[in-house]
Parts: sequence; C-alpha cells; structure tokens
Amino acid sequence: MPIIELKGVEKHVLKDINLTVRDREIFCLVGPNGSGKTTLLNIIAGLTDYKGDVLLDGVNVNPLPPHKRGVGYLLQDLALFPHLTVAQNIAYGLKVRRYPEEVIKRRVNELMDALHITKLKDLYPDKLSGGEKQRVAIARALAPFQRILLLDEPTSSLDAQAAKYVRTEIRSLLKSMEITAIFVMHDLFAAEEVADRIGILYNGKIEQVSDPKDIIFHPESERVSEFVGMPNILSCDETTVLATGLIQLKTGNMTIVLPYEGTNVKKIAIPPQDIYISRTKPPGPTLNRYTGTIIGIVPVGSVVRIKLNVEGNTLVTELSREAFNEMDLSVGQRVYVIIKLRRIQYKE
Amino acid sequence: MMSLKRVTILLSFCIFSIYALLILSLFYFFSGESLLSILLSERTLYSIKLSLFAATAATIFSLIFAIPAAYGLSRYQFFGKEMIDTILELPMIVSPVALGAMVLIFFNNPVGLFLQKKGVQFVFTVYGVLLAQFITTVGIAVRLIKAVMDSIPVRYEEAARTLGASPLQSFFTVTLPLSKNGIIAASILTWAKALGEFGATITIAGSMAMKTETIPIAIFMRLSTADIEGTVILVLILVFLGLGTLYTVRVLSGRRGIYMG
Repeated sequence: MPIIELKGVEKHVLKDINLTVRDREIFCLVGPNGSGKTTLLNIIAGLTDYKGDVLLDGVNVNPLPPHKRGVGYLLQDLALFPHLTVAQNIAYGLKVRRYPEEVIKRRVNELMDALHITKLKDLYPDKLSGGEKQRVAIARALAPFQRILLLDEPTSSLDAQAAKYVRTEIRSLLKSMEITAIFVMHDLFAAEEVADRIGILYNGKIEQVSDPKDIIFHPESERVSEFVGMPNILSCDETTVLATGLIQLKTGNMTIVLPYEGTNVKKIAIPPQDIYISRTKPPGPTLNRYTGTIIGIVPVGSVVRIKLNVEGNTLVTELSREAFNEMDLSVGQRVYVIIKLRRIQYKE
Repeated sequence: MMSLKRVTILLSFCIFSIYALLILSLFYFFSGESLLSILLSERTLYSIKLSLFAATAATIFSLIFAIPAAYGLSRYQFFGKEMIDTILELPMIVSPVALGAMVLIFFNNPVGLFLQKKGVQFVFTVYGVLLAQFITTVGIAVRLIKAVMDSIPVRYEEAARTLGASPLQSFFTVTLPLSKNGIIAASILTWAKALGEFGATITIAGSMAMKTETIPIAIFMRLSTADIEGTVILVLILVFLGLGTLYTVRVLSGRRGIYMG
C-alpha cells in the first residue's frame, strides 16, 4: 500500500507533481538546485500551502497542520534548539506529545545509543561538531515514533567520507525502524547508496522514477541523461574474474580491469570527469590506459566536452575551458586516455 | 592616529562622564539634614511607592499586550500590518504631554465619558497614572520585542511543528525561551521609561499629593516652588531607584545565565 501519495501538487516551480512512495521504502528525490525539492518536502510536512492533494496512509491530509500529519522532518539546516541540551532536543517531540516520562527516557537513551551520541547528552548544540549535530537532528526526528520521515540533504554539511558513513547508518536505522522516508539530495551517486527508488526532479517536474541503476543506464529523457551526466555507457562482451574482487571486462577492443565482487557485468557507466586525456605518454603502469582519437569538441557552459574514439568505443570526457586552451587540442588529434575507477557504475 | 578601539571606548566614557557630571553636580545643593526629613516624609514615601507600583504594573500590562502582538507582527502577514507597525512609533513621535492631552480629550468625548461612568475613572486617579505609563510604553515594548522575535529563525518553530508541537506549544517552548534575553532587556527599558514618565502622567492624572504624585511629578512640584534642596533629594532618590534596580536586574540576569550566547 502506498504510504505517501501526491496528486497534482503545485507550488511555485513545482508543476502537477504525481508521486507514490511505497510503505517502508526509502525514496530519494534528486535534482539540481532550484528544482523544487525542498518545497516538495515542505508541502508533505504541511509547512507551506499548495494546490493538489497529499495523501498519507490513504488519508487526505490537506486540511491537517504540520503537528497533526505525523511526518518527521530533518531540515537541511537541522534547526537544533539552541536553548536545549542534546537529550532535551531528542526528547522534545515526545514531551509535546505528552508521552510518559519513562517512555521518553527509554526512547531518548535508545536513540542516543543507536547514533553513538550518549556522551553528548548534556551538551548544548553550539558545542557540537557538524557531524554530531547531524546525528542529534536524526535522533530528534526519529524520536516521536513517526512512520514517515523527510530528510532534506541530511549529509550536505559533512565531508565526503563522513557523509557516506552517515548515509549508510541512516539507511540501516530507517530499515530497522520500518520507516518510510523521502531523502532529498542533489548528488545522484550519494542517492544510489541509500535509495530503494530514485526520482529525478528537474525544473519542478518529475522526469523519471525508477530503480537507481535504471536512472543511470536507462535515462528516459534527455534532461535525465544530462543530469545523470553518464554518456559513457559501455556494454561488456566478456567478464573474466582475475582474483577475488578483481575482474577484467572486454568492451569492443578495450580491456578494463576493475575491482568488483560480481562475476557477470553487462554494462558499465563511466562519468566523463573520470576519463583523463594527455598529449604526452603518462608515466606509470599501462593498466586502463589507451590511445584514442579526438572526433568532436563541443563547448558546454564552463566546460568543453571532448568526444573520443578509443579502440572502437566512443567515450566522452570533460575539460575546463582553461585546461582545454592550455592543451591546444583539435579534432583528429591522437591522445593518451586514462580511465580512473572512482565512480564507475556497474549493471549485472 | 587613534585606533578604532580607543576612539569607541573614549566616546563611551565621554557619554558616561556627561551623566556622571550631572549626577555629581546635584551634590552642590545637597543637604544632609533635608535628606532624612524629605526621604522619610509620608508624602515622599507615598510617591516612591506609587512610582514603583505604577512602573511595575504598567510594565506587566505592556508585556501582556506586547509579547503576543510582537509575535503576530513578526510572524504573520495580514491586512493593516504596516499601519499597526507605523502607529507603534506614536509615543516617540508626539511628546508625552501631547499623548496625555489626547487621552484627556478622549475621556471628554461621549465614548470616553461613557467608559469612565460605566467602567474605571481614569482622569485624576491612580488608574490614570497607570494608563499614562501604559500608553507611553506599550508601543516601545512591542517594537523592542518584535525586533527580538524577527531575529529568531522561523525554522526552529517549523522544526517544533514537525515534531508534534501545536502553534501554541512551539511559541511557549521554542520562541519564548529563545526571546528571553530580548524580553528581559525590553522589560528593563519599559520599566525605566515608565518610572521616569512625567508629561502624560501629569496631564491625565494631575499632581495631587498623596494621590497621583509620582516622583517625577514631585520633582516638578518642588522645582516650581524653587525648593532646590528638595528637588535635589528627590532627583537622587529617582536616580538611585532607577539605576539601582536596573543594575541589580542586569547582574542577577547575568549570574543566572539568562543571557545566552
């Protein structure tokens, strides 16, 4: 049964939004800045007026104010109450709902334990680091036993490594507590780590809703494809397991060696930013290095896209305009091509 | 060339010196003998009690109106908001005497006469003292408290609402505690303004000894009869009461950690 349903929702940039989020699903709403992601969360939480219908658990909640909707909301700026300690912040939602003291105490301790913040319980928010604040805000949003949670870019203020760790933690917490959640993010690859399904919101319109892999490998529109930024999708003809966790793929005449646990990769997607080119032969081992020919040069905004023919495959790379001017590249030129393995996506 | 730090500190001492000089100059006409007789006279004690009572009561009434009104003006958009916002400055634009005259004129029109007949008699009574102080302070109190509430991000209230708090709960558990410092500061200023209020009070309530004579009115009465010694002692009493109370509240507030951040 769908737990969150939006029917013909409109507000500012948002136009005729129809969306269904399933029970206990983690749904990631991804899109560029200004696409209306936060507005959509505010609508579901009841923090702003709107046109259309919002149904939660099959009930139309349009007339209900935020405190009667039963929707938890982790705001992007966290908004931890500065006059309350960590424990008081977490207990706030339970106190205003008049839960008995012993229930409040148990729940607060349970959440502080789960999020490893017990030692912070008597501190005020201004004494916490960014990551600690994030954890406290998550605990506070989860505390009042709400079945639906909205999270607005919950890891945006953390460094990449900490963000990845917190995302994984949030996912396992949400799953263990059987919570239906909508995550708002602007990074598709981060979304892929937590989402059961992903929706691409572009300029106030939901362009595509599908499984994370499908967004990357089967974008349904040019806008999605543009947003995903994955023009390098290569079909794999052959997979050879070289060692545990290491495979060799054959695609056209190219051979790529990758760290991967699976045994049968059908497609891979390589972001253009992970393909490097050089006019001189780069030093070091020859693994995942090739020679190719420039077959097209297209300036796009602040970058220049370069189309390459590499051993029968067409690859696209991106250079900043400064780097492009310095390298003095032209169509037909032979260049050295290096594939980095930072953000390669696989499809089995 | 003097640094910014030195210039600013020097100027703050300049301001302090002006006021200190004025207070010290009172002692030129100070008489120790008159002090006790005036201070302990029934008339002076009554004026002190009336001044303290009226300033405190007017401050409480002002806050009862000002806190919700300031919240409404800070948080909601509604018809007439700009008009209300502008009229709050009325006590500052027109002089207190003019404000008092407006009240007196109001109580002499049919509506005012009816209200006085059926309700409370304000003209030439203690209630008039309270009304005069309330009218001259409530607009300023709203202005001060609104500025405090404007500075508190709405996001805290929104967070409270999504956690299950009703608008009233979020006001009492989030907005009010976060405005505490500002409200205390606004209360101090409101009380000080009420304590020193003269023009509107004398116009509405008159200057009847043992009835409506507050300390500022008593000072005026002594000065009008060229009783300089008496004037000096009453001014010193007012200075002592006013500054003493403000200083004590500030120190206590600071010690209890009311001022955050």
